[in-house]
Amino acid sequence: MTHRPEQPYEIISDIGVEKGAEKLTPERIREVIRRYLEEEGGARLRVYADTCVHCGLCSDACHFFLSNDREPRFSPAGKVKQALLPILRKKGDVSADFIKRATEIAFTECNLCRRCVMYCPFGIDVAYLMLFVRRLSHKLGVVPQYIQDTAHSHAATMNQMWVREDEWIDTLHWQEEEAREEIPNLRIPLEKEGAEIFYSVIGPEPKFRAQLIYQAAVIMNVAGQDWTMPATPGWDNSDMCMYTGDEEMVARLKKKHFETAMRLKTKRIVMGECGHAFRSVHDVGNRFLGWKMAPVPVTHAIEFYSELFQSRKLRVKRKYDIPVTLHDPCNVVRGGGLHELARYVIHETCSRFVEMHPNREHNYCCGAGGGVINCGPPYTHKRVVGSRVKAEQLAEAAAKGARVVIAPCHNCHGGLEDIIKHYGLDLEVKFLGDIVYASIDKEG
Amino acid sequence: MKKFKILPYAALFSVFLLAGTMAAFAQENIEIVHDAAFENQTRPPVAFAHDAHNEKAGIDDCGECHHAYADGEKQMGDDSVGMECSQCHYGKPGQGVADLIRAYHLQCAGCHGERKAGPVLCGECHRRR
Amino acid sequence: MHAVFNFVRGPMAGIAFAVFIIGCLYQMASMWRLARKKDAVVFHYFSLFYALRSIIHWMVPFAALNMRRHPVMTGVTFVFHLCLFAVPFFLSSHAILFKESWDVSWAWLPDGIADIMTLAVMGACLFFLGRRIFLREVRYLTTVSDVLILFCVALPFFSGFWAGQQWPGFPVMTLVHMISGEILLMLIPFTRLRHMLFFPVIRGYMGSEFGAVRRARDW
Repeated sequence: MTHRPEQPYEIISDIGVEKGAEKLTPERIREVIRRYLEEEGGARLRVYADTCVHCGLCSDACHFFLSNDREPRFSPAGKVKQALLPILRKKGDVSADFIKRATEIAFTECNLCRRCVMYCPFGIDVAYLMLFVRRLSHKLGVVPQYIQDTAHSHAATMNQMWVREDEWIDTLHWQEEEAREEIPNLRIPLEKEGAEIFYSVIGPEPKFRAQLIYQAAVIMNVAGQDWTMPATPGWDNSDMCMYTGDEEMVARLKKKHFETAMRLKTKRIVMGECGHAFRSVHDVGNRFLGWKMAPVPVTHAIEFYSELFQSRKLRVKRKYDIPVTLHDPCNVVRGGGLHELARYVIHETCSRFVEMHPNREHNYCCGAGGGVINCGPPYTHKRVVGSRVKAEQLAEAAAKGARVVIAPCHNCHGGLEDIIKHYGLDLEVKFLGDIVYASIDKEG
Repeated sequence: MKKFKILPYAALFSVFLLAGTMAAFAQENIEIVHDAAFENQTRPPVAFAHDAHNEKAGIDDCGECHHAYADGEKQMGDDSVGMECSQCHYGKPGQGVADLIRAYHLQCAGCHGERKAGPVLCGECHRRR
Repeated sequence: MHAVFNFVRGPMAGIAFAVFIIGCLYQMASMWRLARKKDAVVFHYFSLFYALRSIIHWMVPFAALNMRRHPVMTGVTFVFHLCLFAVPFFLSSHAILFKESWDVSWAWLPDGIADIMTLAVMGACLFFLGRRIFLREVRYLTTVSDVLILFCVALPFFSGFWAGQQWPGFPVMTLVHMISGEILLMLIPFTRLRHMLFFPVIRGYMGSEFGAVRRARDW
């Protein structure tokens, strides 16, 4: 019964981690850690680290733990024990190999989904502790290459995917043109000052999923919304720097984003179906800028669709009749409480809905969030293996008849698609927007 | 290694010694500390050999234990023999028997502690049968 | 014997209470100051309503999902913590000692019930030890200090029970009981036992974040 891996853990080679660690010396590690603890190690760090009584009750919260045959080193407290406690105990006297290992744990074995906070009797925020380690890795220059590349893109272009300004505008024009075949007078208003809504998306939408911009434009036009998109950097609401621990960049990114909304004098920001971006705009980035809540009201797509249905601005022509199930993304559900609204929209647009178990705040993470999927191919295998319980949960919903899994989050999409492929499940992943687009009456 | 072997014997010896003293004590002519106010006894009553105790403790003056107070002053040369302790030490509203218990404990164990003689631990007086 | 007794009954008890109270105040104050300096968010996002909502959900047995997932552990933990607090205050012998020293008194438990509660504490300690030994995920997390703390918690109850039953050697056990109890009290602010202090703080803060910002439940 007890599963013991042959090797203590899979050896994964990541150039960002390897090359970064090569440059470290014990002196540098010690100096960086001591300064970091001195400057940023506050009461939360100490109280969380000192209060944990090692009861192990957090274990059952973690999909990595459950999926890896209850391997103790994957439990939330087990990850804290490996990646953080030695740093605190030895006050920075740790080796470069330790830093590599801690980096791998913090970046690729924890999705920062905060499910364990709901299982810990004290409510210790393991995600905070893992982010603390990630920021240390960032300061030491030891970060998985793929996610660091997105952070570099953020720094250079203010978007996640190295999209150039002209490419961005061109993509919007292209989608407008395409959509006009369906709705002849459709517009994607660029730079419309004083519009009600600034519609913001994440970098991967223009890069890989331009049809989502098409669909959003159709929904906006059918519902008669006064909206706009900027023609300048600041259009991207995503934020991988939040996950690499580059907090200075988080502040720059969100400043740009909010300032773009203010420059356009829009009343609010409506964002596409992204989870981490919602976390960044709603919960994290505003804090680094000194705002308690977002300075410009932020509405997630789920909330926005439900508004449009409630106010009858969108009407359903034909309900989507393939049985659907819903994956509750951590960042908009545990992080935003949008689970009931998502169900409302599904109720409006779909004829058959199968509930996944567990669900709502207790849903299992997709395995991709928290920047884990962004750490790239070196970690894909570990990620899908660590999502076995998710696959079982999906299979159960499929057995009850679900054919489509709605995931109102980009990262969840990526994660679920990998899981479905790896475990050979008969499910298709869709955005809520796909369903809304397919079911509404477009004549208006 | 030898050191450790002494321990069990020492423990056994102390147990015998203890049992011995307890047996010796039990053979005395036992009186029980009695007060009508103790209706429901939580703990076993306390054995108290009045004369032997006073002889051993060198107490001649009855008023030393059976003290008499007037206006908050202890009356030297006077005593309260014949009264029950509860006649004075019972009364604070809501505190009831706790006052009486306190008076007994401070009177007996308090003195034993001061003089470093006589029982002071719960079980030394309130012996289970 | 008398000298030891007088010391543990008198000055050491005072010291133990002082160390416990001042230690707890110091811990709370120093964390408060550190939080003021480095974790301003904790104060800005604190919401009494959501803090209490979370704390209450985690103080009521089986109110949180994870408690229902581990019914035995939940039952044992609640009984353990309840007895751990109730016995020291409401055992008749202790209530009388408070009465003797400070002339305050309150209702106390019948000794038979207190005996059962004491056994429950010891049983729970064994259960926790068993978890630490037999459950892989707990064993992985367990450090020497975890076991020592468990021992330190069990010892005053074990020795207290022994002394209460007046089993052979009970006078020595009574002193062991008093000393170990006082040590335990002094350990609280300086070991993991301070989770007693920080439970409401962490739960309250996370409850506030979950309720007010994230609009979600955390139980």
